[in-house]
Amino acid sequence: MAVLTRRDLVRSGLAVVSAGAFMPTIFTRAVAAAAIDNSVSSSGSTTSKTLIIIQLAGGNDGLNTVIPYADPLYRQLRPHLGIAADQVVQLNDHLGLHPSLKGLKSLWDNGKLAIVESVGYDHPSLSHFQAMDIWQTADPTISRHQGWLSTLVDGSVDKNGHPFKGLSVGPELAPALCCPAVPPPALSSVGDYRLQPDPRFPSGRAARESALNRLYASYAAPAPYAALLDSTSQSAEVTSTALQDTVAGHQPASGANYPKGGFGDGLKLLAAMIAKDMGLRVGYVVLGGFDTHSNQAKHHSDILQALADGISAFQTDLTGHGKADNVVVMTWSEFGRRAAENASLGTDHGTAAPLFVTGPQVKGGVYGEPPNLGKLDNGNLEFATDFRSIYATVLEGWLQADATSILGQSFPRVAFL
Amino acid sequence: MEDNASTRPRLTTGRRNVLVTAAVAGIGALIASQVASSARTSTAPLTDDVKLQHLLRRTGFGASASELDQYRKLGLNGTVERLLNYETVDNSALETRLNRANFDLSKPLPLEMWWLLRMAYTARPFEEKLTLFWHGLLTSAISKVGRAELMFQQNQFFRQNAMGRFPDILKGVSRDPAMMIWLDLNSNRKGHPNENYARELMELFSLGVGNYSEQDVRESARAFTGWTLRAQRFFYDKRFHDDGQKTFLAHTGNFNGNDIIDIIVQQPASAKFITNKLFSFFVYPNPTDQVLQPFVQTYVTSSYSIKALVQKLLTSDEFYSPRAYRALIKSPTEYLVGIIRGLGLEADGVGLPQVMNLMGQMLFNPPNVAGWPGGPAWLTTGTWLARLNTANRVTTALTGAAPNPFARPNPKAPIQPFDVSSFFKGVTAPAQAVDHVLGLLVDGNVDPAQRQVLIDYVTPPNGTSLANANRVWLAERARGLFYLTLALPEFHLS
Repeated sequence: MAVLTRRDLVRSGLAVVSAGAFMPTIFTRAVAAAAIDNSVSSSGSTTSKTLIIIQLAGGNDGLNTVIPYADPLYRQLRPHLGIAADQVVQLNDHLGLHPSLKGLKSLWDNGKLAIVESVGYDHPSLSHFQAMDIWQTADPTISRHQGWLSTLVDGSVDKNGHPFKGLSVGPELAPALCCPAVPPPALSSVGDYRLQPDPRFPSGRAARESALNRLYASYAAPAPYAALLDSTSQSAEVTSTALQDTVAGHQPASGANYPKGGFGDGLKLLAAMIAKDMGLRVGYVVLGGFDTHSNQAKHHSDILQALADGISAFQTDLTGHGKADNVVVMTWSEFGRRAAENASLGTDHGTAAPLFVTGPQVKGGVYGEPPNLGKLDNGNLEFATDFRSIYATVLEGWLQADATSILGQSFPRVAFL
Repeated sequence: MEDNASTRPRLTTGRRNVLVTAAVAGIGALIASQVASSARTSTAPLTDDVKLQHLLRRTGFGASASELDQYRKLGLNGTVERLLNYETVDNSALETRLNRANFDLSKPLPLEMWWLLRMAYTARPFEEKLTLFWHGLLTSAISKVGRAELMFQQNQFFRQNAMGRFPDILKGVSRDPAMMIWLDLNSNRKGHPNENYARELMELFSLGVGNYSEQDVRESARAFTGWTLRAQRFFYDKRFHDDGQKTFLAHTGNFNGNDIIDIIVQQPASAKFITNKLFSFFVYPNPTDQVLQPFVQTYVTSSYSIKALVQKLLTSDEFYSPRAYRALIKSPTEYLVGIIRGLGLEADGVGLPQVMNLMGQMLFNPPNVAGWPGGPAWLTTGTWLARLNTANRVTTALTGAAPNPFARPNPKAPIQPFDVSSFFKGVTAPAQAVDHVLGLLVDGNVDPAQRQVLIDYVTPPNGTSLANANRVWLAERARGLFYLTLALPEFHLS
């Protein structure tokens, strides 16, 4: 895409362009840049559809998430950690959910929860970081350095001046959204996401921010990190103003009880952005703590509970605001865990695992091949569905994007969309 | 061994390079590759004074005006000597200050305050900078360890062994209670090995992915069986140690954990790994093999001495090259401590963990086993705003009109507010004020257009002189001048 830096705009003395009521004049240059950028890019889709990604960081234990409770091998492999048949949330005569996922049962009953079994890729990495990079870039050879969703949030600001095509919850930008020329916003809390003025001299705000703007405009390549500093500051200024003006006072719909903590807060923020029509295409939130090498039972139960509570509250919230039909949620984790439990009442790094896709437009059911516990590879499960088939499905079937171009090759779609 | 080919990605030469440099570092490297083209610098050699300030940032957290004067008297070589041989530097003022503060180090927040104040007021900045390096590399997090006193103990281990031999550091940290809990070494038993420590020891601490097999992970885990904790201390429980033969990185024998570490450090890949980590932390990210080679050589011939390696780094041409200058993005710790040290602020710890959190770093609690991704990953829209708001809190308290954000009022030992006016004594022209602040905080080295923006900002309207300027206007602009300098792109870089 054509990159119009703030420096270019300052130098060319571009007139202030109105880009929405919420933008104070000193930042409109940045919006103008993005708007112009967007008008010359080919990705100006007007879809109102949103994809929410929930990353289960650390490697989720798939066998104790979607449980083959009727398989005798499951009990042999999991003498202490196995969940008893009468405890699982039974989906059919052989599969059940972890008891903490009870909150997802109504989605299942309504045919809105898709489970894709045995998702992975050939020659899997058991390194957290290598595996995460593979999933985030959709490239098992790790030769690509572009997040698989980055082109969808490219430009950051849409034509209507909505600066939130992508949003990453937390202090870090999710690598899956990384790195278009203007980085999508990453934030932890709405209240702190703004430039604070000098409390004693509020009237000096404009002069100070104008000087700030010019200091960044005068810091140009080849100075170190010039593009990163310029685009980050620009995106921060624009998005923080927009966010304060529209989302800060938003209330979740009644009955939406988000779990406490960053994950629940993140989903709540994403729901608010969708409810307020902020142009969100891809929202990204992380739930951590899945690296359960020891004493996993209680901890895994707690974080799966947070997952179920979060998804339920999110759906309730969106339904209350009449937006649920526009949203699909999917989960992923960098790998599953070893089929057999270890001596520390935990599980070591593994390979293939199930993932969830849910939303009113999703065709519920179980997809892919169930894990074959009788045919392990060095103690690890074999994959049956390439994770890029899931990506292709949501890219084409939901976001109307060109999956083959993004993924570099064609993958068969899964029928949940 | 053959079976493991299927659980391990196939590596081509090209890919191995990517793995070593990028995969382990995760998002940091991912972003780095995106912005690498923008991380160029001018080719003009650094002046002696810029070299000195560069050195003080890299080996510590920058310096106040009075510290800088002291180091200038020592000269560049004398300063390196003093920084390196820090055990000879009297640090009693720091210890007195910390004793007086009397932090409860069994609690996470006071522990973080304690360390931040150490960094802010130590006379041995390199000792703390190296401790920060080890904390980021051989990392553990209180989120799982649970006990702050064990994190304190690990932190002291890093401080006391910061420039030791690398194998000794690895052996020590393998018996460190916080590490043993963090990576489940304490529950690693014969017949049921737990692979967590064995894997991360090689992947993240000493070799990097691609330099060992899954089989090596399993064999190493066997060698570490029986290493456990008793009453929160290291204990070797013979009953749970696997005494069988292990084949590890092409060596076979009845190995224990120390043997594993001795085999690891003898690998050429390990020498390159640790040299690259230190080079990338202190000089610039991702050097070429050719640049790295002499440093690897020094490390190996000194019998894996970290002191020999860092001494060579700090005296090398690469360290003072234009390529190294401003080649690193400050961590929140460096940004915050750099402000406190640079401005000579008084802090007692209060408020510091909160702003650290907003900027994206909680000391003693890295996000995962790889520590903080660092580099460009430090800068997102959210953390950039948090950095500027930190600058705002500090600078709007400068004149004493607002309370010091990082110290409680204490009638017995009143904290002197930072006095902006002292910076402007004898200043008659706006350019003088600007050059003074820029000289203190960013080596006086900015684009002329930036300098002009600041001069315009502190030039009174309608041709009024500084001496006759409206005092309220002057106060606002003086605070603003410091704020804008701490907000400068250059101040986010080291």
